[in-house]
Amino acid sequence: MSDLLVRSLEASTVFLLAALGELVNQRSGVLNVGLEGLMLFGGTLAFLLAQATGSYAVGLAAGVAVGALLGLLHGVFSLSLRGDQVVSGMGLWILSFGLTTYLGSPHTGPLGLPRFPQVLGLSPFVYVGAVLVVAVWFVLTRTSLGLSIRSVGENPAAAAASGVNVLAVRYACVVFGGTLAGLAGAAYTLSYNPVWNYNFLMGWGFVSLALVFFSMWNPWILFAGSLLFGAMWQLSLNPDLVLPGVLSRYLWRTIPFLTTVTILALISTPWFRTRWGLARPQALGAPYLGD
Amino acid sequence: MRVGAYTLVVERTQTTSPVRVAGSGLAAVVLALLLASFLFWTPEAGPWAAYRIAFGYAFLNPSGLLATLHRAAYLLLCTLAFLVPLRGGLWNIGLPGQVYAGALAAFAVPFWAGVRQAASGAGGALLWMPLAAAAAGGALGALAGVLRAKLSVNEILVTMMLNSVLFWVVSDFIKEGGAFMSATAEGESFTLPEAFRPPLPFGLPPSAYVALGAAAVVDFVFARAASGYRVRAFGLNPQAARYAGIDPLRVSLGVFAVGGAFAGLAGYHYFAAVPGLYKIPTNYGYYGDLSFYGIICALIARGNAVGAIPMALLFAGLSVGGRFAQGALRLPFGVDYAVLGLLMTTFVVSHLVDRYSLRWQRAAPQPALRTSSSSEEAR
Repeated sequence: MSDLLVRSLEASTVFLLAALGELVNQRSGVLNVGLEGLMLFGGTLAFLLAQATGSYAVGLAAGVAVGALLGLLHGVFSLSLRGDQVVSGMGLWILSFGLTTYLGSPHTGPLGLPRFPQVLGLSPFVYVGAVLVVAVWFVLTRTSLGLSIRSVGENPAAAAASGVNVLAVRYACVVFGGTLAGLAGAAYTLSYNPVWNYNFLMGWGFVSLALVFFSMWNPWILFAGSLLFGAMWQLSLNPDLVLPGVLSRYLWRTIPFLTTVTILALISTPWFRTRWGLARPQALGAPYLGD
Repeated sequence: MRVGAYTLVVERTQTTSPVRVAGSGLAAVVLALLLASFLFWTPEAGPWAAYRIAFGYAFLNPSGLLATLHRAAYLLLCTLAFLVPLRGGLWNIGLPGQVYAGALAAFAVPFWAGVRQAASGAGGALLWMPLAAAAAGGALGALAGVLRAKLSVNEILVTMMLNSVLFWVVSDFIKEGGAFMSATAEGESFTLPEAFRPPLPFGLPPSAYVALGAAAVVDFVFARAASGYRVRAFGLNPQAARYAGIDPLRVSLGVFAVGGAFAGLAGYHYFAAVPGLYKIPTNYGYYGDLSFYGIICALIARGNAVGAIPMALLFAGLSVGGRFAQGALRLPFGVDYAVLGLLMTTFVVSHLVDRYSLRWQRAAPQPALRTSSSSEEAR
């Protein structure tokens, strides 16, 4: 059971890292539906370079760097060139899906390195994730930078009028979001499940994206949601621990996805929206034409 | 940029000519193929040799050509599944899930008829199978449409979640004692008995001809019919469409149900109507992911269904021939996926390029500097 808890925490961390970056992204008004692609690329490059060099540090750095680079690319498409954010995000996802399949396929199989170093029996990413939640909450709610981020996500024209450089803030946020997505991918392939196979994420990025909506753009709710989904994911892999023989193991795998759809529907009801939904950034997904 | 008395001005445009749109789409495809040529580069053969092998097999070899046509029909149906909601401003990326739903529904017909081993007497099942597939895909699509219209739930997330759900549901049906599992228990479905296989006029199943006809009908509806106008109006400006009395629920539900039905039919086509398969194979996920080419076809054709036909043919040839070249030249697995990614990227770039125009502008003359004599004259 304790092993299940540890694995659940590690799974939660992957969701948390990706979703936390996307939360900051969205608070600045930029939507990146290609989150899964950034995670795929970050995870694949981290895996390939760690395997080639035998160094976790090199793999990790590569995963983070490619995530940041893809985040920047999304910024160029959607901020500087004012393209449709959904088109850009979908482009990044399909690009990453295609290229990582090509790059990773010859290396299908386990990483072949000693287990990722643990800290007090847990992956160090778990601690990194927890610290980042506090840091993101603090920056967003207690600092002038956070105020700038929130203001460009709510009303970029008003933010610009008050002296905030909208493009600079949004660029910083998309790069931050990309960095964390790359880190999440690296955490997956280096620590949580160090095996490369075709389309290894199978929806983790989209669940992370859904978690941001579920969290109502609040880092603490996001943290709780990640824990819930991490636990649910692990239980779907080990259903016999809870309800032995109830459903086939394949049907159990559908539970996290069905739950995501159900929660998305619930939080979108008029009752829920009027009561809780005020945190949605007003300018989310809209290009800023002011500059 | 200034050259002599002229300055190069980059401007954002509000309208784009159809010729320019077609040109940029074509340029996107050519650029992606050029970039992909690096992937085909091997010490034994250069990229052109690889393309020659790939396209030679896909379009000149009789069995390769037939495989290309089967796949093109599949991609065209997937294209329509994405294109119809797209004209309404909605993104249906649930193509794999709807394809799986269609395949399961199609195989459910002979299964429930209790004639898995039957050699004859299929009769109406030949008609029921595609209908059931379209209905299942449409129902799955409609779910996303209803959630979008009634609750504004992001349709990308919902359709993506449903893809994963259906992926595992198929596994449940064909593996480890699942209802549709083959007698050999190899993690694939039972093979369709002869009687349930559709006829093949000119080597292609009727679903391929349906795909071609549907493309023409879709374009006609969007160009001439009131329902098509309502969908387009909603896609261009949902708020204004609402003020004009267009019901968002009907539009969202309609486009997703129709789109899903096309994807469901694509599932029937590839798993139950293409010779050599006639079953849901172990690697069914590959065929599901292949449906994402439909997204590219629809986007590059800029929502024009008939215009997507050559795209579907090209990409079908590329994926069939790419796999062949992969084997012949011992290239790594996934060349076709890499091309898919590159195509999407060049499309995004072309989509952005369409929105800008370059213009040479004569630079305004610099104000003349006053000389000391002229200032003295002024005094």
